[in-house]
Amino acid sequence: MSGVGEMNEILLRPKVEFDVPVEAEVISPDLFAEKSHEEIGSLPVFLGNRKMCLKDLFEIEGQSSTNIVLEGDFSRVKKIGYGMSRGKIHIKGNVGMHTGATMKGGEIIVEGDAMDWLGAEMNGGLIWVKGSVGHFAGASYWGSKHGMNRGMILIEGNTGNEVGKKMRRGTIAIKGKTGDFLGVGMIGGTILAFSETGERPGAEMKRGSIVLFLENCTNPPPLLPTFTYNCTYSPTFLRVYLKTLRKLGFPVKEEYISGKYRRYNGDIVELGKGEILIYEP
Amino acid sequence: METISATCPFCGCLCDDIQIVVENGKVLEVKNGCSISKTLFTHHDPDDLVPQIEGKKASLEEALDRAASIIRQARFPLVFGLSMTSCEAQRKAVELAEFIGGNIDSTSTFCHGPTTLAMQSVGEPTCTLGEIKNRADLVVFWGCNPVEAHPRHIARYSVSPKGLFNPAGRRGRTVVTVDVRATPTARVSDIFLQIQPHKDYEVFEVLRALLKGKDLRIDSVGGIPLDALKDLVNKMKSCKFGIILFGMGLTMTRGRHLNIEAAISLVRDLNQFTKFLIIPMRGHYNVTGADAVLTWQTGYPYALNFSRGYPQYNPGEFTTVDLLRRKEVDAALILASDPMASLPRQASSYLEEIPFVVLDCRKSYSASFATVFIPVAASGVSISGTAYRMDGVPVLLKKVLDSPHPTDEQVLDGILKRLRQR
Repeated sequence: MSGVGEMNEILLRPKVEFDVPVEAEVISPDLFAEKSHEEIGSLPVFLGNRKMCLKDLFEIEGQSSTNIVLEGDFSRVKKIGYGMSRGKIHIKGNVGMHTGATMKGGEIIVEGDAMDWLGAEMNGGLIWVKGSVGHFAGASYWGSKHGMNRGMILIEGNTGNEVGKKMRRGTIAIKGKTGDFLGVGMIGGTILAFSETGERPGAEMKRGSIVLFLENCTNPPPLLPTFTYNCTYSPTFLRVYLKTLRKLGFPVKEEYISGKYRRYNGDIVELGKGEILIYEP
Repeated sequence: METISATCPFCGCLCDDIQIVVENGKVLEVKNGCSISKTLFTHHDPDDLVPQIEGKKASLEEALDRAASIIRQARFPLVFGLSMTSCEAQRKAVELAEFIGGNIDSTSTFCHGPTTLAMQSVGEPTCTLGEIKNRADLVVFWGCNPVEAHPRHIARYSVSPKGLFNPAGRRGRTVVTVDVRATPTARVSDIFLQIQPHKDYEVFEVLRALLKGKDLRIDSVGGIPLDALKDLVNKMKSCKFGIILFGMGLTMTRGRHLNIEAAISLVRDLNQFTKFLIIPMRGHYNVTGADAVLTWQTGYPYALNFSRGYPQYNPGEFTTVDLLRRKEVDAALILASDPMASLPRQASSYLEEIPFVVLDCRKSYSASFATVFIPVAASGVSISGTAYRMDGVPVLLKKVLDSPHPTDEQVLDGILKRLRQR
């Protein structure tokens, strides 16, 4: 495609529809930055248990750039942007598991849906998903001490269960519905869920904030009995958060910024220093 | 006529006091066994099984060749099952999975997998069944029904036996059952707490809060009055040796591994007051062994992938139910389990779309759909070996009857040899 080189981006398109998963943590701006077209094409990827070159599975255009564009269906391609520290990946379609997991910086934009473990254990950077995501976004891997630790995940669609599991720092904002156990075992950080949420938000949380706006939610789930009501107030920090989100372009209603919130603290079987804030219309 | 001592290869109890009277290769009598055990030994008849390829009779060599060719072509194969065979065969299955760069998973995926996840997260305060027999004075059955699923558990270990520090037997124990309905186990218990389905997590949280002396502004939780839970907490705190035995009523209901995490956290908290422990009621007789062998060989207990030559562990990604539901695997080797009869339909139906090999000592439901079916000798009936009891104690499986069929290990070895020859 003409013009790609001039815009200095690297474009990848799958050559075939993948019937088995592909592991491609090499699709990362850190690795593409200094490499020629040839070198990028010969980076190793795994199609199931077959070790192959990137060029065997994808059409590649452009070279030496930290600006990567992925076009097509990447829903079976795992670990895109895994551990990346700079640059940008723009995914114009669906994307597979572990996208942006353990990333330290840079930006990932997903136009479609993302699967499980999006931004798991990330340490910085921004992930913006226009569609829905699977389970464990920003969560910890099994047996790990903490989940995401700095950075931001913005999701416009719905999410699965255990989003922000054991998160330590950072922000997750979800426009759509969330599954069960939102922010389970949270150690810090902030989760803003604008629509309905599943059962048991904030279970076993130690510190951190979960903000529930419960938009269009006729039947909100009861909080766990181990959360206690404190007061109704208008938290200052939340105004800063909401205004920042709005500045980034994430839709936030005006009334949320000045609105009042019921505060519950918990989970009292753990440290009890966490809070759930529920917007009061 | 001779009497052979045997170990029953059915449930996680692995009763090793079975006496079997055999004459001319036929079982005449099964002593000490439960009704399941008696049926298992007396109805064992492997003779009419033959290897099959696409439903047609074949020789063992042909079946092995075809199995090897299916696996050789696969780019994302799955080795599944493991839990109804000996540790020796499991070890061979791990070797095969590593060699072919496939996924390997045990039936933990639909039973106690969440238990393993919880144990990795918060630890495992556990003991052997012998310690329960000798010491326990408070037994809590949570979401399990041993009277029907582990018939001799109650008589041999957990409720009625007299022990070293519990000479009174049943009278020296308080038995509590927490379940969604009054099961036969509930009927032999002193206290039965009927819990609403999927509310276990809330109840554990409340028990933990009560244990910490927190004041809760509720009257009941999960259908159980708060006073009943206060009473239970007092019993738990004041017993000398307490044990929670839990089953799939906890692992496969809403919350899954987090239910178990909450249960283990409660047990951990209880140890500030008294000795309290927890044991999962494992179903298949050697599913604990599958976890043990996989951990010993690879460092991880289940849901493993060898695509890159080294083990990657990630339940949810490499668990069988998820792999099949997402239609990711392109061939499967199933041994010692019947996934089409036990997996969710959404997952098992995909098996019909891919070639798969079944190794089983009986013509299971899955075997009737298999591309290649290879009958094998039954571990614990026709071959000896090692199996792990639900509490992690290794027990010797013994040979009772002869079998015309090869063992799981020999078949796996045959497939491996063919794959290596290339």
